[in-house]
Amino acid sequence: MKKKIGVYICHCGGNISDYVDVEKVKKSIEDEGGVYLAKTTMFACSDSNQKDMVDDIKGNELNGIVVASCSPKLHLTTFRNVSERADLNKYNYVHANIREQDSWAHSDDKNGATEKAILLVKAAIAKARLAEPLIPNKIQAQKAVAVIGGGIAGMKAAIALSDKDCPVYLIEKAPFVGGRVAQWGNMFTSNQTGEELITKLYHELIKRKNITLFTGAEVTHNAGSIGDFRLKVSVQPRYFTGTCEEKQLQQAIDACPVEVLDEFNFNLTKRKAIYRNAASEYPQTATIDMENCTRCGKCEAICDKIDLSQKEEILDLHVGSVLMATGFDPYTPAEGEYGYNEVDNVLTLPQFVRMLELSDKKLIRNGKEIKNIAYIYCVGSRQEEDGNTYCSRYCCTSAIHTSVEVKKKFPGVYNYHFNRGIRTYGKQELLYAESLQLGDIYLQGDEESLPEVSGESGKTMVKVKDILSAGRLIEVEADLVVLVTGMVPRADNSVGSMFKLPKGRDKFFNEIHMKLRPVETFIDGVTIAGACQGPKNIMESVNSALAAATKSYSYVSKGELETEPIVAEVDAELCSWCDACTAACPFDAISMTNESSKAIALINNSVCKGCGMCLPVCPTDALNLIAYSNNEIESMIDALAAG
Amino acid sequence: MNGPSNQLNFDALVVGGGIAGGEAALNLASTGYKVLLVEKELSIGGKMIMLSKVFPTLDCAACITTPKVSEISRHPNITIFTSSEISSINKIAENNFEATVVRQPRYVVIEDCTACQLCEQACPVSVPDQYQYNLVGRKAAFIPFSIASPKAAAIDIENCVLCGACEKVCPTNCIDFTQEVETFQVNAKTVILATGFKLFDPLMIPRYGFGLYKNVITSMQMERELAPTRPFNTVLRPGDGKVPDKIAYVLCTGSRDATIGNPICSQICCMYSIKQAQLLMGALPMADVTIYYINIRSFGKGFDEFYQQAKGMGVNFVKGKIGKISEQGNGNLTLRYEDINEGIVKEADHDMVILSVGVLPNQDASDFFGQDELQLDPYNFIHQTDVLASPALTSIKGVFVAGTASGPMDIPDSILSAGSASSEAISYLIQE
Repeated sequence: MKKKIGVYICHCGGNISDYVDVEKVKKSIEDEGGVYLAKTTMFACSDSNQKDMVDDIKGNELNGIVVASCSPKLHLTTFRNVSERADLNKYNYVHANIREQDSWAHSDDKNGATEKAILLVKAAIAKARLAEPLIPNKIQAQKAVAVIGGGIAGMKAAIALSDKDCPVYLIEKAPFVGGRVAQWGNMFTSNQTGEELITKLYHELIKRKNITLFTGAEVTHNAGSIGDFRLKVSVQPRYFTGTCEEKQLQQAIDACPVEVLDEFNFNLTKRKAIYRNAASEYPQTATIDMENCTRCGKCEAICDKIDLSQKEEILDLHVGSVLMATGFDPYTPAEGEYGYNEVDNVLTLPQFVRMLELSDKKLIRNGKEIKNIAYIYCVGSRQEEDGNTYCSRYCCTSAIHTSVEVKKKFPGVYNYHFNRGIRTYGKQELLYAESLQLGDIYLQGDEESLPEVSGESGKTMVKVKDILSAGRLIEVEADLVVLVTGMVPRADNSVGSMFKLPKGRDKFFNEIHMKLRPVETFIDGVTIAGACQGPKNIMESVNSALAAATKSYSYVSKGELETEPIVAEVDAELCSWCDACTAACPFDAISMTNESSKAIALINNSVCKGCGMCLPVCPTDALNLIAYSNNEIESMIDALAAG
Repeated sequence: MNGPSNQLNFDALVVGGGIAGGEAALNLASTGYKVLLVEKELSIGGKMIMLSKVFPTLDCAACITTPKVSEISRHPNITIFTSSEISSINKIAENNFEATVVRQPRYVVIEDCTACQLCEQACPVSVPDQYQYNLVGRKAAFIPFSIASPKAAAIDIENCVLCGACEKVCPTNCIDFTQEVETFQVNAKTVILATGFKLFDPLMIPRYGFGLYKNVITSMQMERELAPTRPFNTVLRPGDGKVPDKIAYVLCTGSRDATIGNPICSQICCMYSIKQAQLLMGALPMADVTIYYINIRSFGKGFDEFYQQAKGMGVNFVKGKIGKISEQGNGNLTLRYEDINEGIVKEADHDMVILSVGVLPNQDASDFFGQDELQLDPYNFIHQTDVLASPALTSIKGVFVAGTASGPMDIPDSILSAGSASSEAISYLIQE
């Protein structure tokens, strides 16, 4: 059938037409073979132009369209939908990117940009001439979601999915759920404690029959793809067959010879290898830390509910979507950074929060009552170019809130805030105002003059060239220095790399598009929630968790999903199963099969991304990428080269 | 004319057709629920559709908003009422809300209008164009703006002189002066409030001279000057049409200022001002841009890097709050401020001043509810009753809040908040 192609060239409101002469592009391609009509438009994506396109396609019985506009990353779906509304198979639409790949890149050369646009559009027309209608592959979507990470984001996401009658597996690596929030005391703005919040959520979790909670559990293997993820989960035993009597448990803990630093209190205290949960951690039961346990058997001898012979369990889970809520690590300052680990009274903000929780009548450090506290902001955030250049967003508010809490609990304390411009955005501003009312002192440095901490002859001094007093050097003797540390991505990225999740320049997991698709990732079916995507406060984490739950639910709720028909295909006659393609495939989509007793490659259509990596390594040319056949690519190259 | 067709049933009523309301409506609709989206203005798209580019990615706002808007307007499960307002919402029981929706006549049959603009050309009346923030004029018969949805003419009846010129030229006879106010009784099982925010009116700070000095404009006006659908096709100062070359931004205009009743931070002004400064550096390479600030709050993903980039491009950042602006004979402006770094009061001359106006609550929603009280927070945003664990919950069960209706936020946060509200609404619909 002869092609009747409609070509639409977008001004993008000046984004393109300021640098590319779109009218000239239109004139230059009007007479290309197959082109039936060519138009320019202010915004190809606008509602009115979409309407025009549908009318054009239907009215002129077009059987191919080319849109030359921005990156297909933004609008591929938009124009596929236009085609479908006009009863044109959506794979008969071909996109030419003349914005990111042309007008923006060549804003200094209007003629060159226009010439390049003409070639790009001609190449797209060449492809449209050969484009075939395709039918999307359909797959069954398993109605269940795996939520990885049992902090506030993961817990909320699990509850939200459960309430939509969607079965959930909540997988937490630590022996307890609650995450970072469990480590906080009073929280801004609601004045709930971390313990209250986590207790409430845990009870919500366990009363829901369709949530299966695993603690001490890690996803060790993933196969499959959207709608059909096959996960292997290793669950560590708790080494208890039941609950020990309270007295016996205490005796068992006392008997344990192993003492390690307690990470729940950020190493301020110690615990035994057998230990109880903190009050804010759930389930409320003791556990044994096998990394440090020497298996001496002393605890087992005291309580018969302890069983050190328990083994890990490996479970197979089948889910349609994976919701990643793996959280963050608090930044650990380098040795000597603002005196960390060198000067005795230097702590991080998370440590200080735990210290406050553990302090009762007096605030004591090294036997001395604390009067003056210096807070140093932006530690581990807003660093020079090779460091963490980003702002961690929660820390200004968190530090000020903590300082206000200190003052309420210990009225004699003086707070000195060595900041770099306070960022109490939104309603958090009121907290900053409250702190100023309470008489806290704010001193501000900048990237050229950061504060310095020194510890000599038993005195800890913090000094800064203070912008707020016209650059005077101001020095404070501090009994305690609190480093207001930011958020960094989890050091352990094993689960992220298992799912091949891309990371942004800040090394947090990256969303597809901050505004259009903020909780989706380039791995179909995997959503991201909470601080694993970037620093967030609790409210923001929960919002993103619920948004991710909505998205994950949309993948599995209908039972069936469409996947791209643009995948690799194998010519059984040419294939000799040399296995070169399996090594080239980044998605493990290729395996061996036997067809008429001949070993050949088999493509898993729901895993194949159509990336084309397998094609060039095939020695017999047995592989073809649908919609990107040699024929199509060669015709495009011809169009580009013909000029 | 309230016949049975004015009785409507939906699963969800979404109030406000900005980016948050639109996102929430789409989430619900693609899950299979029937949604009524009620928008006060003539077009959906809210404030975002009026913007130039958006930080920190510098995507053009239209490029992101128009396809969303198109998806919303074409979704089979979404019904849109523009020019419509809620007059009341009563909760009868769980999953049972009764709303009265009043639709103002547009005097144009949307389905028949082809947006040919002949009526615009024929109309003899010129008034300030609210969609260009009064930078230019429009007619009484007008298309709201070029990327409006629905893209159809409307008659501004308050300014119309009823000359009939538009009716005569309309090729499709879509202008209908007999249209009347329509009232609809809507039953919905859940409600999402996405009523957005209002911009601070700088007339409340007379010492900045807005309204008096023509070359003092608001950031939203500058946003229009920089947008692809910009009124002048270049950046110029309104006083005399001169291309400015020494531009000042006054941050925290109407924010962090208890004297005008708004002590909180608006959360977006630092970033949009930095964005505009970057765009100005591109549009007017010879211009100097100075941003007067108290603190720069570039806290989101990629924001601080964006701020550093602006510094690298040569945007001048001065820490100091502007006390007073005065006009010189040539329309240039003198800014008096405390230079915090030097600790002295200074004056600086600029030829154009942009007031980075803040975010104020839109209190419309507080009047919707009769029997049940919709609580507001101390700053008159919608109160979030469980702000940490369920940020979309309001004081009325089954009524959820999305976007800036609950407080200042940027576009990414509004979209996440809309996702959060949709999740709560879907759960509420399934559970009850």
